[in-house]
This record gives sequence, C-alpha cells and structure tokens, in this order.
Amino acid sequence: MGSYLIRRLLRTVLVMLGISLVVFVFVRSIPGDPAIAMLGERATPEAAAALREQLGLNKPWFFNPANPLDAQYPKYMSALLQGDLGTGIKSNIPVRDDLKTRFPATAELSIAALLFALVIGMPAGILAALRRNSVWDNLATTISLIGVSMPVFWLGLLLSYFFGVKLGWLPPSGPLGTEFTIRPITGFNVLDALLRGQMDAAWDAARHLVLPAIALGTIPLAIIARITRSSMLDVLGQDYVRTARAKGLSGRSVVLKHTLRNALLPVVTVIGLQAGALLGGAVLTETIFSWPGIGSWVYDAISQRDYPIIQGGVIFAALVVSVANLIVDLSYAALDPRIQYS
Amino acid sequence: MKKLLLTALLSTLSAASAATLVFGGNGEPVSLESGNITDGISILVQRQIYDTLVDFKPGSTDLAPGLATSWKANANNTAWTFTLRKGVRFHDGTPMNADAIVFNLGRWWDKSHPYGFRDQGRTFEIMGELLGGYKGDATAVIKNIVKVNDTTVRIDLNKPSSVLPNVLAAGYFGIASPAAIKKEGAKYGTPASKPVGTGPFIFQSWRTGDRVTLLPNKLYWGDKAKVDQLVIRNIKDASQRLNELKAGTIDFANDLTPDSLKSVQGDKNLVAVKRPSFNVGFVSMNNRNQYLKNEKVRQAIAMAINKKAIVDAFWNGLGVSNASFVPPVMNWANSPKVPADYKFDPAAAKKMLADAGYPNGFSIDLWYMPVSRPYFPTPKPIAEAIAADLSAIGVKVNLKTEDWAKYLEDRNKEPGFDMYMIGWTGDYGDPDNFYGAYYGANASDDINWNPANVETLLQQGRAAATQDAKAKVYAQLHEITYNAAYRIPMVHSNPLAAARSYVKGWVPSPLGSEPFNTITVTGKK
Repeated sequence: MGSYLIRRLLRTVLVMLGISLVVFVFVRSIPGDPAIAMLGERATPEAAAALREQLGLNKPWFFNPANPLDAQYPKYMSALLQGDLGTGIKSNIPVRDDLKTRFPATAELSIAALLFALVIGMPAGILAALRRNSVWDNLATTISLIGVSMPVFWLGLLLSYFFGVKLGWLPPSGPLGTEFTIRPITGFNVLDALLRGQMDAAWDAARHLVLPAIALGTIPLAIIARITRSSMLDVLGQDYVRTARAKGLSGRSVVLKHTLRNALLPVVTVIGLQAGALLGGAVLTETIFSWPGIGSWVYDAISQRDYPIIQGGVIFAALVVSVANLIVDLSYAALDPRIQYS
Repeated sequence: MKKLLLTALLSTLSAASAATLVFGGNGEPVSLESGNITDGISILVQRQIYDTLVDFKPGSTDLAPGLATSWKANANNTAWTFTLRKGVRFHDGTPMNADAIVFNLGRWWDKSHPYGFRDQGRTFEIMGELLGGYKGDATAVIKNIVKVNDTTVRIDLNKPSSVLPNVLAAGYFGIASPAAIKKEGAKYGTPASKPVGTGPFIFQSWRTGDRVTLLPNKLYWGDKAKVDQLVIRNIKDASQRLNELKAGTIDFANDLTPDSLKSVQGDKNLVAVKRPSFNVGFVSMNNRNQYLKNEKVRQAIAMAINKKAIVDAFWNGLGVSNASFVPPVMNWANSPKVPADYKFDPAAAKKMLADAGYPNGFSIDLWYMPVSRPYFPTPKPIAEAIAADLSAIGVKVNLKTEDWAKYLEDRNKEPGFDMYMIGWTGDYGDPDNFYGAYYGANASDDINWNPANVETLLQQGRAAATQDAKAKVYAQLHEITYNAAYRIPMVHSNPLAAARSYVKGWVPSPLGSEPFNTITVTGKK
C-alpha cells in the first residue's frame, strides 16, 4: 500500500509537470496575445509591440541563445517550483492570492452540487432499479436524460429567473446578500458565518448556494442516478444476492448489506470523474450566478489572454482532479476487500 | 432583559434606516490603481474613490472644475497652468496639493519614477496612448510637470495641445494619495490594498469576484453622498443583471442588452435609463482590396446599406444613425456641408457600381466581432442585414468572424480585413478622441489610407485654441472623411441602463461612468 501510494504520488508529479508544459504551449499558441487584449479597440500594432516588450512576452519561449535563463518557460518553471504561480498580467495580483480566495468558493459550490447530486441521484437510482420498469423507473430515467441534455447556462438562467425573480424564493445570483459581511476563516461562506456566530448570514449564504448548486449538480445527478440504477441491477442479478434472498433475509437487509455496498463501486468512480466535470461545469455556472470562484476567474482570463492566470488555474484544477482520483482509487480498497494495492 | 430588547430594537431601527445603494457592475474591477487600467468597471469604481484634476459637468462632456478650480493655457497652447482647490484632503488625512498632483502625473508619465513600480509590471499605457508617449519620448506631448507653488501646477508641452485638460479629466486619471501609494507599494490597487483618493466615497473592502464596498466621505469638498454605503457587485451576465434588478437585490445597473428594454418598461418597479451616446459603431473598408480602393465602390456600398432600418431593427430605439464619426453630443464639430445621414438608394448605388466597372458586382469578406459591444450589441444579425442590403446591388458578402483577441490583432496585420465592423467609445469630450483614434498617424493601419492633409488637420485640431477654431478644423475633417467613405458610421448607440423606481438623482454620463454621490434611495425597502 505504501509503495503504491509513493508510485501514485510520483506519477501525479510527472502528470503535473506535463500539464504545466502543455498549458504553457497551448495558451501561447492561441492567437491574440495579452497586449492586444489589454489594449482592446485602441490597439495599434506599435502600442501592442511596446506593451508586449514591457510584459516580457517578446522573449523566446524555451531557449534564449543570448542568455539561456532569460526565456519564458525556464523562468516560469523555476518560479513554479518555488511555489510562485506568477502574477496576473492585467491585475498585478499574484495568482496564488487569487487562488486562495477563489478556490474555497468553487469548492463550496462543488461540494453543495455533489451533495445535491448524491442525495437525490442515488436514492432515485436505487428506487428505479428495485422497481424496474415501473412508473418510478421510467420517471427517473426520463428525468435523468433531460438532466444530462440540459445546457448548464440555460438551466441556470431558468432557475434564476423562476425561483429568483418570478417566485422570489431565493436570491437570483451572487454568494451573499449585500447586507452581510463575513470575515473569512476557511473561505467557505456558510461555514465561516457559523464559526463567527452570524446565524442570519449563514442562512443567507446557504440560500445563495441553492440555485447554483442545483444548476451545477444536475448533470452529475443524472449520471449518478443512471450509474446507480444499472449497477444495482447488475448486482441484484448476481448469485450471492439470490443466495441471500434464498436464505430468507429481508429485502431491506439484502439491499443494504449485500447489494448497495457492491453497487457503490462504479458510483464512486463516477464521483471521482465528476470532480473534473464539476470544475468544467463551474465555468458556466459561476459566470451565470456571479459566483466568485475559479471557473469565472479563468474564463475571464482566457478572454483576456492572461497567461499566468490561465496557467495557474489549469495547473491547480489538474491537481484537484488528480487528488480526487487518488482518493477514489484508495476508497476502492475500503469498499471492496478484494481490491488490494501493493 | 428589557435592556436587551431595547438594544435589539434600536439595532433593528438603525439597520432599517441604513441606506445601502447597490450597483450591478458588469464584471470585476481589474485594479483600483488609477492611471493603469482602462476597463469600464474599474473606472466606475475609481470614479467614486478618486477625483480628477478636471471634471465633466454631470451628464455632459463639457469640462467642469475638479481638484483644479481653474486652468489656463499660454498663448500658443504649449503650457497649461492648473490652480488647485484649497483645503482638500485625501481619505487618509494627507493634504491634496501641488506635490500630490506632480507625484501622480509623474508616476504615469516618467518611466523612471521611483513609485511607478514598472519593474513589477505596471505599464500606465493609457498615458502613453492619449498623450503621445512618456517622459523623454520624441512623440510625447508632455515635456515637463512643474510645481509652481503649493496650489499651482504647470504642465509644459513639447507641442501645442488644446485637449490636455480634457484628457486629464478622463476617468483614468484619478488623483491618489502619495502617502498611501508609498505605504502600500506595488500592491497598491489590488484587493489586498486600500486605495485612497479625495472622492465622495471611501474604500472599505473588496471581496474578489463578488463586490467592492464603499462608505461615504463625510468630509467631501463637493456634494456629499446621500447613502450610508455603496456596494458595487460583480454581475457579469447581462440577463442576470436584469434578473437582479427585477428581484430588487440591486438598485441600478449599466449595460443591459437592447432587447431587455421592453422587459424593463413592462416592470412598474423599474425605470429605463438611456445613457447619452458617446460611441460610434462603423464599418471600415480596406484600401488594399482591389474593389474597395475605388472610391465609387465605397460610396456605392455606403448608399446601399439601409442604416436607418438596421438601427431601428437592432437597437430598439436605443441608437441613432447619422453621417458623422463623432457622437451627437459633439454636433458642433460637424460640417453643415455633409448631409445629416447617408442617402439610402439601392438603384443609384447599383448604377454607381456599374460606372465603377462592376455591373455584375463582386464578392467580398465582411468581418463581424464575436462579442457584444456597446456600439454593436448583436454583431452577427447586424452583419447579416448589411450583407442582405449589399447583395441587392450585386455585392456578394462572405460573413466571417473569429475570436475577439485575434480579431483585434488580425485587422492590423497585412492585408487586414476587406470590410469589418468595429467601434469606439470615447473617454474624453473632444472630437480628437474619435478622429485621432481612427485616422492619422496614431491610428490603426487597418484601412491603408493616411493622407497628409488628414494628419495636418488632426494636428491643427489638437493645437486649436478656441472651440470655434476647433470646429472649423473638424468640419473639414468631417467633409474629407465623409467623401472618402473608408469608414461608414452606422450608429451612435445609447447604452441601456435601468434603476429601481426609488433611485433618484442619477445623472448618467455619456462617458460611461459617473460619481454616485448625487443618488438617493428614499423609500427603498
């Protein structure tokens, strides 16, 4: 187990290095550079060239024959290895500082979305499997199909308009009402408000979470429901389940003790994969719901060609996905004793 | 227990009377350091915190006193003297005086200024763009910045300029406290710092990606703010800003899409606000193209586009079409010899095209931007309408687009685009801000047309001492550029804003942002 963990960690480091190289080349290969984006309609070729020089973007990418260390990638990597992700070109804010405030917002939203997806998706999947071909099954299958096919931005706007404007039940967007201020501890609004004893702010922050979490969680919900259903059906057909039933165990016990635990394995895999999908979905959800997370931040940076922010955001997101996958792999062993790592 | 109840009651009362004004901004400020950034929302927040040396009259582009109470040029417009307002203090208590002005202007203009932080990525590019360059540059307008005495600053110029006060009145150039900049160092202007100006609001906090909170400046020299708190929220999505307005979670907002006008007008709690137009959306034609280098072809194209119908269809009454490159608030700069708008006459256009040698027309690329801009809110359908009009005279149009950053780059790369849509929102109230940006030596090289007489007139415009003299120069420029027909102005649009009905006293500036100290929210629930 120990050596497996070390090998996995080493592989993660290699993957991260590879990603840093790929994203470095990719962002610079997209046409249109930060100087032009910063100058906008005002950009004349001369002004853009001057700004490019001032920003150091005229330097070679990998190797400068005149001065080997004075190239963009070596400089970036040497700073990165010291934990310095660079500074946003337009804002002059260190990328690390932005990540520190942005990541908790994305994490809070993703956790809420995943909870929403699990709490509804798993029972729906189980119910559909147990009552196969019933009305419930058809309903769950149809709804999950709609959920998968619904564009996130459209669903987001729809939710916001219906529940935020028409019914007025929930705030249409943003992370917190303007009447509240929460001094950050963890960066999670709800948690911080509770820790500071601001009950009304915590309630308000929780209410703000609902709509974006539903928008972000709908696709994972649909996927989890489908996987749970098919996985449950698979396991229900296994010999040991039939044996358990034959032994005269109650339906409840068969479902909970024998089926569910085994049926959960693929679901856990999907949850791990969804960590990446959640970060991707967060781009649209955060933009629509004015959510101050990583998604909206990187989205803005891409349109501005703000290289350090795009690089930092992508590398960080890759790290999160790697860690999530590692946790999934490790949790396999916990769920299924047959799986052993050595 | 009684005491507790009383305290609770009092706090509820004070909460109820605390008037918070909430603005829905179209994004996140990039930086609150003045002089270093030009995006709309950064400037909007900066305008609340900082005053500029010279200001604009509310709702107009005419100059008004700011931190300078008066300003005067020498006889040939090569030196400007500014007399400063006495007794004004920055929010940190330090005095606003000639030293502070010289410090601020100096760090933007002097590349070796010790507090310019250029080694840490500061560029102050807007100073170079608007005033020809930086200290020591051959093209720079400013030669020297001199403190005459505590309340007088003189700016010496390398070449005559009548627009210097207008440029310094642009929202980019808010005057900041030198003490604060020295104290915060290179992190000045970031969310981790405290920007300090003399303006009507004092910076309180900035939660990245979410909001900036400001408090009223009780010692403000001008109109004091009439609310207890000003919150500027980051709501990037235009339809979401409308949602928030309808839900009452924000009080007012800018940059709604033109198609939301009906929705705003249909809501009794909302008032639609048309911001005065200070932009131009136009179609540029490239002299490198074999057809477009023919003047008759360009004029035929101008005549074939039904501008008025297009503006009616796509701007919902939030725009006007005319034959001028400058927006209507600067009508004084137009020539009476130029018609109010281009004639729409497809038959005459077709004949003109035949005269030019193309009776069967030809085929050409028209590029439209992939993003919504204030001057072209829905570029693609507008481009389709233009294409339809041109096909009526036999010109086959291929519509093209690409990513915005690449679009801005490619239009300036040879051979550029055949025809393309672009536009411009002004930043200070002078025709030079429009003509100078797209014609002459400082303009982009997208149409390959830069005759000497245009450049001469632009120089004369910048040097003209009086508005009358200026008007004469720009009237000539108007005639020349109209006849040449390289850039066809399509529209001057009114960006749509809206407010909850209890928001009173908001005077939107044509320049895109204004201080909010005049606004009241009496009756807000």
